[in-house]
Amino acid sequence: MSPELVFQQALNGLSFGALLFILAAGLSLVFGMMDVVNLAHGAFYMLGAYVALSVVQRTGSFWLAMVVAPLALAALGLVLEPLLLRRLRGRHLDQVLLTIGVSLVVVDQIGVVWGREVRSLAAPAGLDGSVALYGGDYPLYRLFVIGFGVALAALLSYVYSRTKVGMRIRAGVEDAEMLGALGVDTDRLFALTFAAGAALAGLAGVVAAPVFGLQPGMDLDALLYSLVVVVVGGLGTLGGAVAGSVLVGPADTFGKVVFQEFALAVIFAIVALVLLLKPTGLLGRIRIAR
Amino acid sequence: MTRALRFGLVAIAVAALITFPYWSAGWESSRFATTVLRDVLVFAIFALSLDLLIGRAGMPSLGHAAFFGAGAYAAGIASQRLGTDQLPITMGAAILVATALALIIGALVVRSEGIFFLMLTLALAQIVFAIAFQWTSVTGGSNGLSGVGRPVIGGLDLTAADRMYVLVAVVFIAVALLLSRIVGSPYGRALVGVRENERRMRALGYDTTRLRLSAFVLAGAIAGVAGALSAYSLRFVSAQDVGIATSVRGFVMVLIGGAGSLFGPVLGAAVVMYIERVLSSAIPVAETVLGLVFVAFVLLARQGIVGVGLAAWARVRR
Amino acid sequence: MGEGAALIEIRDLVRTFGGVRALDGVSIAVAAGERRAVIGPNGAGKTTLINVITGEIPPTAGVVRIAGEDVTMLRPWQRARKGLGRMYQRNELFPPLAARDNVALALAVKAGPYRPLERVPSTQPRAADALLERVGLAGREGIPARELSHGERRQLELAVALAQAPRVLLLDEPTAGMSPAETARITELIASLDRGLTMLIVEHDMDVVFRLADRIAVLHEGRVIADGPAADVRGDVRVNEVYLGKAVATA
Repeated sequence: MSPELVFQQALNGLSFGALLFILAAGLSLVFGMMDVVNLAHGAFYMLGAYVALSVVQRTGSFWLAMVVAPLALAALGLVLEPLLLRRLRGRHLDQVLLTIGVSLVVVDQIGVVWGREVRSLAAPAGLDGSVALYGGDYPLYRLFVIGFGVALAALLSYVYSRTKVGMRIRAGVEDAEMLGALGVDTDRLFALTFAAGAALAGLAGVVAAPVFGLQPGMDLDALLYSLVVVVVGGLGTLGGAVAGSVLVGPADTFGKVVFQEFALAVIFAIVALVLLLKPTGLLGRIRIAR
Repeated sequence: MTRALRFGLVAIAVAALITFPYWSAGWESSRFATTVLRDVLVFAIFALSLDLLIGRAGMPSLGHAAFFGAGAYAAGIASQRLGTDQLPITMGAAILVATALALIIGALVVRSEGIFFLMLTLALAQIVFAIAFQWTSVTGGSNGLSGVGRPVIGGLDLTAADRMYVLVAVVFIAVALLLSRIVGSPYGRALVGVRENERRMRALGYDTTRLRLSAFVLAGAIAGVAGALSAYSLRFVSAQDVGIATSVRGFVMVLIGGAGSLFGPVLGAAVVMYIERVLSSAIPVAETVLGLVFVAFVLLARQGIVGVGLAAWARVRR
Repeated sequence: MGEGAALIEIRDLVRTFGGVRALDGVSIAVAAGERRAVIGPNGAGKTTLINVITGEIPPTAGVVRIAGEDVTMLRPWQRARKGLGRMYQRNELFPPLAARDNVALALAVKAGPYRPLERVPSTQPRAADALLERVGLAGREGIPARELSHGERRQLELAVALAQAPRVLLLDEPTAGMSPAETARITELIASLDRGLTMLIVEHDMDVVFRLADRIAVLHEGRVIADGPAADVRGDVRVNEVYLGKAVATA
């Protein structure tokens, strides 16, 4: 591999990692607070992308889509949590099963509303070009994705560590029941958490659409990668989501260059190693295996 | 009911199931019904194997299609590469590959429980499947693997639809008998013990990791058999059929029918196949219906159709 | 007592949690047939001691021997096979299974559980019922464990431990959470067990301890501060200060 290619692939890996972070942050947040692995997270991601497609088709504004899609997903989350998950509070495995059903319905309905063809979404004006970087042209939009991911991580980190909401979230991750005992309205907190997780999935869907396009099956890819990221990085912590994405993004990208169709074997090996050597994930506290 | 009467009734039901294409031959829809019933039985085998994990050992696997797929691909590839359709060879290849894969994945996941087990089986199985799927030169990739031969046993050719059906039905009966035997054995009891209290089982002297891993591998091997039967039946291995979607479908079958009962997963397979095969030609949103039905069962009847039926029966008798 | 006769021997056990030394160089030898109690105030390390003996918690340093064999590196199930039976402080049962089936699982391990094609031996239910009768649960055989009263569940917990036919019975607070009447009943039940069965009892109720134990070791802040015949320990001034005195004061 030439140094130019390595450089390009490193940027690709980082931009993929940034996307994974946006995706995994929501999954991890919901798990940390509610002990539920939301298996509809991939479907929410997919829905975010398709909502963005419609917004761009109507208004021509990608930036508006970046606001509308997460809001739409947040609204869906606000409806689904009280309607379904709340009824099974405390039965975490059953709650996870519920999200499987939700995902089947959401994905099928996307097919009904938007069709099942492959679609694409153009990068917004101003970011659709490329820049000369170290001996090659590099798509500007991918640089934007990296910047956006980093900015979001910084923002979330600020919210977690400096604000009252963040304090509650961290306390909830530590012990949600305790928070209830202290007089915090956990119903409201859980609904908002689930909505925030869905919004982050939707946001990831919008940001990813110009890079990966829109097609059936994208929900499963997103779910798979976000699960891998949280297993590798560690469940329930922001640092874990960052560590997992920074590792998995580039590993997957370079794996595709080196091993082509066996790229996922690299991911499998990483997951296996983490499970065997560090069952909490790199920066997590919850043991997912003995 | 006396033992003899019960045995007699079961024997009649088994004989009727195996000979379905022959006694239904007069029906106008006999051929269609035979095909649907065949596919229901293939998935019933798959669901039964998954229920050994979900319903007995308490291991909610969401990656079981990997072994179904491994069996399907192995049987198909063996028949094409080795140029033989001898059932012992292609089925043997399916069982071998599914078992080996279940050992690898199982070794990594059996130390996890509950949600984490579910998450890891989903992720690892899907990764393995995606690797196989992208290995186009061997698996045909997104085009699937077409032209899989129907099996022969010695000189007996099973290509004809009715014979293919009989093979599936016989294997289904064999698997059901095997699993009913396992469930009642000391081993089957021990799996339930692991599900209910692994710590106590260890303190009693059970090697619970070995129990969990062996159940995982056994279930994987049986899923491989189902996969091979699917490949023979459809003469095709579809890429879509061996990923998460099929894992989810198996899980839905077990839960709708009723986990932890032999009849439940079979019933669940019939319900899901009805929705997907029959209903989907009538309405375009079969998957939505399936999802809603699943949500309703998780919310309102977690014990499945069989569980609800048994509870109702108990109430009537009281 | 010669060291060779020890059925359970632990030597220089250390177990730290974070910076806390829950066990700080504990050595105890329990001879075959002996009934040994380990007492001490809350946090003295009693349950940790049992967990280290059974292997549920690995020691930071030290050795555990069963009948002279070093088992420190063995897993809990392997140690159980060497003859350790355990009654947990908080019941570890199979809640939805009938009392009989709880015991049957303990009986089955002897015959080897990895036989997927064999039938459960027809003698097993009767053997289980006999054990249930032994612990005073006659007539309750078919009741799921979760529907038994707390006292009955403690009795079942004992039956499950006995069903392993252990060489050493580890009793972690056998009377935990019981009423005075229930306490008296299970104490007499344990006292009436085969004299050849070696016991290691962790218990805070001193009446129970003096009723059951031949010898008593006193654990305080992770160390053994007294170890000897029950009568001697009862008279030990230091023990009265750190443990009995404290217990009386807080009672």
